[in-house]
Amino acid sequence: MGKVINDGLLLFYGCIFFLFIPWNTDAAAAEVTVESDMNLQEMIDHAEPGDTLNIQEGLYRGSITISKPITLVAQNGAIIDGRGNGNVITIASDGVVIKGFTIQNSGKDKDNSGILLKEVKDVVIDSNHISNVLFGIYSEKSSNNIIKNNDIESFDTHFSKRGNGIHLYYGHGNFIGNNRIKNVQDGIYFDSNSKSNIQNNTVEDSRYGFHFMFSEDISAEENDIQKNVTGFMIMDSKNLQFNRNQITDQFHFRGFGILIYDSSNIVIEENEIRQNSSGLYFENAEQTHIRQNLIAANQVGIEFKGDNIDNVLTENNFIGNVVQSKIADKDILLNGQQKGNYWDDYSSYDLTGDGIGEIPYKAGSIYDQILKSHPYWQFYFESPAIKIWSKAESMFPSIGTANVYDEKPLTLPVHFEKEKKNQKEKSKLSLLIYGLILTSSSVFILLKGKRME
Amino acid sequence: MRKILVYFIGIIILSGCAGTQSFEPVEINPEIDVCEICNMSIAHENYATEIISLEGDVFKFDDIGCMVEFLEKDKSLAKDEVAKQFVRDSETGEWLELKDAFHAYHPEFWTPMANGIVTFKDQERAESYMKEQGKGELYNYERFLKHQWSWKQ
Repeated sequence: MGKVINDGLLLFYGCIFFLFIPWNTDAAAAEVTVESDMNLQEMIDHAEPGDTLNIQEGLYRGSITISKPITLVAQNGAIIDGRGNGNVITIASDGVVIKGFTIQNSGKDKDNSGILLKEVKDVVIDSNHISNVLFGIYSEKSSNNIIKNNDIESFDTHFSKRGNGIHLYYGHGNFIGNNRIKNVQDGIYFDSNSKSNIQNNTVEDSRYGFHFMFSEDISAEENDIQKNVTGFMIMDSKNLQFNRNQITDQFHFRGFGILIYDSSNIVIEENEIRQNSSGLYFENAEQTHIRQNLIAANQVGIEFKGDNIDNVLTENNFIGNVVQSKIADKDILLNGQQKGNYWDDYSSYDLTGDGIGEIPYKAGSIYDQILKSHPYWQFYFESPAIKIWSKAESMFPSIGTANVYDEKPLTLPVHFEKEKKNQKEKSKLSLLIYGLILTSSSVFILLKGKRME
Repeated sequence: MRKILVYFIGIIILSGCAGTQSFEPVEINPEIDVCEICNMSIAHENYATEIISLEGDVFKFDDIGCMVEFLEKDKSLAKDEVAKQFVRDSETGEWLELKDAFHAYHPEFWTPMANGIVTFKDQERAESYMKEQGKGELYNYERFLKHQWSWKQ
């Protein structure tokens, strides 16, 4: 009895299966080939929702607008050229896929871009090469889109006359991964955007790497930001998380690795902030959590201005910065509850053996205070007179200055997780080599000694 | 004849010396200029504003809102030390004195710091901008002074 029912059910589901599957394939299966002598816009207009257009190699002139959910795949990097007018590709429908194109020559007005997303969702922009455009990709009030594997470059001119690589204006839940952006104004600009994730992108030779304005709940991992004016420009934003990014060579006259202004709840962990004019800069920052970063070889390691409240710095390595930190307007405590940071110019005793020095670390000297009112005193940086004066001042403080200090400075640099593994293997190998050399040389000496007898 | 010419030139030079001090706007260099308040580099040059102090110091801002914040909140320069405040026509980039300028305001108008105030040389231009955008409120100087800034709350 039971078996009969089961068979009946199977038949029933089978029928449903047959009813649906052929229908779906009929609608989705249409693949259209577009040759370079055809009009691309007309082909798009004639396509049915769900169609795939295979665009053959060649140059397609003129802007296009896509207002139905279709897939455009370029064969051998077909070129779409906007002829210097407006946006090259305008996407005005959900579910569009654009893959493998070379997209070039947008207009130079307002927010003209290589690809404009106009209030859409579930769009995929994959493996395109976008160049000679004002903005690369401009996402206007668009959500849940994927932008990956693209190369983006703006005009060959000063950054004030370029647009941004990827501009997210409102919208949420976008994924941006593996893009290579250079020569733009700001690499990725988050304007009132939220809940986006950014991974493995590179931004070079631009103004700001990532620029956050009025944005929240955004995470960025393993991005490589170099040779811009400033790496991360964070303004009026909250709930941002940065892990394992490399922020190097922001050596502009007013360059910063990470600048935080009027923002709160920023977590910065396991990043490398190297060779910038200023590594970290805080102005009116609240509840930031800075942990296990390498802050090395910057002109100034970390700087403070204005009201900075409830910020925690713990287990960071400050190594080889010309100046670790400057004296601020107000007292700044640099350590967390348990641990402070490693400062390579710190020397004291660790009597208790807990890895924390017994004397607090103080950053900056009286010289910083003077520099503020007399910038040209920079000329006397590290001169013997200034050194003696700073030392005397630190022993017998005469001017009441605010201190940047670490109450729990670490006596040894922190080994970060990823470094640990390599180092262990290395140390084992070096131990073996060292041992071998020692044994062989001692054997050699022994033998030689015997012969001498 | 030559003597008269010499006198004439002399008078011109002397009158130049005796003239009252004038304050002119200073050009923006987007490569190095940053806003006094928000640290942003002044890349959108037509939105730049400037304060020239009586001592001749120049303070540059990326947005008209930052200039007001500098005087009202930051207070590192007292108001009576201000010689002139300059703004620019957002379309042509022409420098204007703040007191002569007209503005179009709507919270959704784009400006570098999202204050929503876009500046124009005359009333007609401001009005045509609002017409084009389909929204906005016209500000003259008196109305501008009464604007409710977001950082004041």
